[in-house]
This record gives sequence, structure tokens and C-alpha cells, in this order.
Amino acid sequence: MNNSMRAARDIITSYSGKPLRIMEVCGTHTHEIFRLGLRKLLPEQIDLISGPGCPVCVTSVGYIDEACRLALQNGCVICTFGDLIRVPGTEMSLAGARAEGAEVKPVYSPLDAVELAAKNPEKQVVFLAVGFETTTPSACLAVKQAKEAGLQNFSLLTANKTMPNAYQALVGSADAFLYPGHVNAITGNAVCRELCEKQSVSGVVAGFTASELLTALAVTIRLLEKGEPFFRNCYPRVVKDEGNPAALQIMQDVMEPCDSEWRGLGLIPQSGMKLREEYADYDARMKYHLPVITGKPNPACRCGEVLQGKCKPSDCKVFGKVCTPLHPVGACMVSDEGACSAYYQYT
Amino acid sequence: MNEKTVTLAHGAGGTQTNELIGSVFKAHFANPLFTGDDAAVLPQPGGRIAMSTDGFIVSPWKFNGGNIGKLAVCGTVNDLSCMGAKPLYLTSAFVIEEGFPLDALEEIAAAMEKTAAEVGVRIVAGDTKVAGKGQCDGIFINTTGVGEILPQANTSGTFAKPGDAVIATGDIGRHGCTILIARNDFGIESDVDSDCAPLWGTVESLFRVTDDIHVIRDATRGGVGTVLYEIAEQSQVGIRLNAESVPVDPRVKGVCGMLGLDPLYLACEGRLVIFAPQEHAEALVAELKKGRYSANAAVIGTVTAENSGKVILETEIGTQTYLPQPKGELLPRIC
Repeated sequence: MNNSMRAARDIITSYSGKPLRIMEVCGTHTHEIFRLGLRKLLPEQIDLISGPGCPVCVTSVGYIDEACRLALQNGCVICTFGDLIRVPGTEMSLAGARAEGAEVKPVYSPLDAVELAAKNPEKQVVFLAVGFETTTPSACLAVKQAKEAGLQNFSLLTANKTMPNAYQALVGSADAFLYPGHVNAITGNAVCRELCEKQSVSGVVAGFTASELLTALAVTIRLLEKGEPFFRNCYPRVVKDEGNPAALQIMQDVMEPCDSEWRGLGLIPQSGMKLREEYADYDARMKYHLPVITGKPNPACRCGEVLQGKCKPSDCKVFGKVCTPLHPVGACMVSDEGACSAYYQYT
Repeated sequence: MNEKTVTLAHGAGGTQTNELIGSVFKAHFANPLFTGDDAAVLPQPGGRIAMSTDGFIVSPWKFNGGNIGKLAVCGTVNDLSCMGAKPLYLTSAFVIEEGFPLDALEEIAAAMEKTAAEVGVRIVAGDTKVAGKGQCDGIFINTTGVGEILPQANTSGTFAKPGDAVIATGDIGRHGCTILIARNDFGIESDVDSDCAPLWGTVESLFRVTDDIHVIRDATRGGVGTVLYEIAEQSQVGIRLNAESVPVDPRVKGVCGMLGLDPLYLACEGRLVIFAPQEHAEALVAELKKGRYSANAAVIGTVTAENSGKVILETEIGTQTYLPQPKGELLPRIC
């Protein structure tokens, strides 16, 4: 541990003021915080809450049902980020669909799915476009490339989400947010600044290494002690105020805002992204005339409350018993970034 | 032979089978013990023997740093070596998919010959079957090996004791990382190469330092993290792993960072995890560092009496957490 890390650690461990609730919004932060055992450094007045920033965790049950239907009934090849494969739907997960003969391929980038479609014109390839501003630009780029190449066997099943309106839904659930560094790297800092200036919502942008997380947390504690609303960028090596204009432009070109259902938080107006009219041919819901599918989550699962910081994973009756990383009941137990999975594995 | 690929006729047991065996396998595996008889007849070793078998189905068959042939020899050689056994004899059975290129088969056999020669193990018997197109993925190899255990060696997964040092013989996770990249599912480019290597020389060097080696395990499928949990369970001990001391190649770190994978769970094919009394740790690491396949050896942890069956991670910020239990399929995370 170097000196600056030690100094940040000392600020955190020696805090003795009033109770503080700090929410890490990003799933990667949740994972790193558990991996580092960072909560063990916290004095009891500081409560670190895991927010809804794991894209897998906030994906609705109905979305998984739609993907399974495309795979099994429409015979589509489903390309997806890996950790979505084990998320339970109403009847089954994509892993279950694969066991029934569906073709489900994990990919690292949506562009890999476009390549797969180009090489296999006889197959219909659907990419599961989930995630926040970090992954949406590449999904947009994939659609643009597919259109330019004249591919007719590629489409997206969109469930992309954006953070600004989710922050609105979370206002009041914590004294300060640790903002997701990767998202801010795309969006820039304007939204977070505005939250601070207009609604007195405090927060800092945090990076992902041990040193960056300790620093962000120490800065948050020091500024909360002062009592004034604040915004700070503690990840300046990656996050610029203006964000990534090229990524923002391609999102705007290809997609437009829509209402979106978040597991746990419900329908948040204008918090999702869907393909614009001119790209409708690449929208799997339209292409395959998918009916409206409302999934039914397991009633015993409390992922929704966990995602809002209203209960701890261990407060859920199925946690650690029927719901484990190998046999997840709720989405938060699937991804390594999910609060339940991290809680189960590291504590 | 004029054909450029393996055909079903090559597996039918007739002239073409003999041609294939003669031109590819016999040409490479030639030694006095490899005869055309139904079984190899071998001199009796003087001491205890160890025996092991393993199947290899890696796809793609060729990767940066090796191929399935090298892997098939290393896998069994290393399993024998972990018991302190000098590998003496191997058998090798091939299941080859119809249409598999003959020059690829040639390349695989050459790699097996080279690797076997390096360790001094002899391939004494073999079998070849050809499966119809689509019935197997290119080529599957099984190797079975016999080795003679050093008189002073007495290792087992059940022998780890509180106070033992845990040593890794090099940087971890390179083979798993190489295969992920070679499969090209993730569009990532990296020049990372497999750690695949025959480790008898490495094991032999340990016994030059001390006979008091408790556990030697090769960290193959599931990686070092899985091995640590296996040993903690089998020996009914706890293990404290120091996160910062685990050697990881920066390229592997980079790929794992992008995919959200932990190098602790990626396969190695040329790395051992060794448990030995703390007092020998320094000398063992110093000896290992001289070796061809263990230059980055390091003490990565210690064995404790408490937390039986668990692996505790000492993190870079000075806290302690449980190392997560290994899971099944490695699935890269979203972002």
C-alpha cells in the first residue's frame, strides 16, 4: 500500500461523525468493493449501499422470456454478453434454452455478432442489447455497420438503459453517490453537476482500482463532513467533463429515449433507449412480431429491494439457500457484479 | 500417402491405417519399445510406480505456445510429476475427425515427440480411430502414463499442514487466457502465449532442495483458485492467499480486465502449486527461479489451522475476504 492509499484509508477508518449512507451506483464498483473487503474498513456509522448499476441485475424477467422465445420458437442465434446467460426468466434462463437446443453464444462485443451474421447468411442473429451508456454506443455501431453492409439477418433485442433518470429515481436513498466512472467517461459530468446544483444531490465520480476507490470514498467522507452539496471528479485520468462526443453522437443517430422497466425500480420514464424508426428493420421485436411479454419473477426473490438499498441480500429468505451463484433465483445472484452474488461469495 | 486429409479408410484397420501409423506416428514416436505388437513389453521399474490418464479436447487444436499434442504429453507428464514420479512411458490414443488435415496431424505428432524427448518419456503404445465428420471436433487425444516415484517423494493433496508455505511456480492463467483469445469469440487481440510445459524437471529441482514436500498439484482446469480450494478441502486446512504476491503477466491482467475474469480461475498447463514447510520456502523459490519453466516462482500464501476448507484472500488494501469459490463456466461480464 502506498502513502496516498494509506492516507485515504486513515480518513475512512478514523471517521467518527454522524451516520452516512453512501451508494455505489455501478456494478463493477460493487464487485471491487467486495473483492477488496472495503466494507470491513468502514466504521459503523458509514453504510455503503449497492445501487442498481449492474446491467444484468436490472434487466427485467420479461426480457429474458423474449430472448428465450426468439431462440427456441424463432430459431434465432442469440449473441449476448456472457453473464446474461444464467439470468432466470419466468420459465427458464438462456442456459436452459441452450440445453433445449437453442444456439446461444457469448460475445465480447456486438460487432462480433455482426461478423457472425455476415459469415452465416443462413442464420438469423439477434444481439441482446442490454447495459448502460458504456455498452449502448457499440450496439448502435453494430446496427450501423449491419445496415451499411446490407445484412438482413442481424437485429437487436434492446433493453438499453441510461443513468440520468435512474438517478432521479434514487434521489433521497443516500447522502452521496459514488458515480460510475465508465458511464461518466461517455456521458460527461453535466448531469451529475446539475443534480448537485439544482437538487443538492452530492456525489463523486470514482475509478476502479483499489487506490481510486479508497480516494473517492475518502473525498466523499471529507466533503459530507463539511455539509455542503458537492460534485467531484475523482477519476480524471479517464473521465472528461465533456464525455465522449463521438459515442454520444452515434447513440443519438441510431437510438432514441423510451420508457424502460428496471427490475426492482419499475418503469422509469425515458430511462431506456430503442432503435429509431429508420433502423426498425434491425429491431428484433418488430422483425419477429414479438407479443408483449410480461415476465413473472419468483415471488420469494427480493432483488428489487436489494437494488434500492432497502434490504441486504442476507435479509432475503432464499439467499444462500435455494438462491446461490450456481443456481440463481434472482438476477442479483447471477453476475459477479450483482450485490447478492458478491455478498454470497465474499462474506 | 497422396490424400491430404484423414479419411474413414484410415481408421478401418487395413492398409491405409498401417500407412497412417507408419508415416505419421511411427516416424515420430520411433523407439525400441514401440513395436507392432498388441501391447508394449516393458522392463520393471525398481520402485513404486504412479499411473495417470487424461483426455484432451482443446479447440482450436493449435494455439500460441503449443498444440493439442504438446498439451497431451504435458498433461500426463505433469500429473505423474506431481506425485514425485519420473515419467517413463506413455500410451497415446487418437480419435480423429474425418477430414482432419494430415499436415496438422504431422505437426501434432512432432510436438508430442519433441515434448516427450525433453522429459525422457517414451511413447510405447498407441491407437487411432477415425470418427465421421461432425462426430468429434477435429482431434481428441488420450494419454496414459507410468512413472517411477522418487524413493524420497511422498506427496498428496491431503498432506498440507498448518505452517506450510504455498508456492506458485510462475505467473498464472496464461494457458486459459491464450485459448480464450485463440477461440476468437471475443474479438480481442493479444500476443499472450500458453504456459504449456512439461514439468518433471521443475519437480526434480524441488527434491534437490528438500524431501519434505507435502503437496504438488498442477493448476490446470479451474486454475490456481480451484487448486487452493481442493487442497483446503482435502487436507482440512485453511489457506491465506496474498493477492499482491500472485504473479500475473500484464497481458493476462489486461485481457482479464476487459472480460471481467479473474486469472486465479484461468487454466495453467505449466504451473504447479506447491505446499512445503515454511522453513524451506526461500530455498525452494530460489531453486525454482533457476528453472526454465519457473523463473517467476513466488510464495503466494500460507496454510492455517483455522478456516478449514476455506481460502482467505489478503487484499491490497490490507483487508481479508474469502476468495470466491470457483464456479462452472467462465462467462465474461458485461462492462
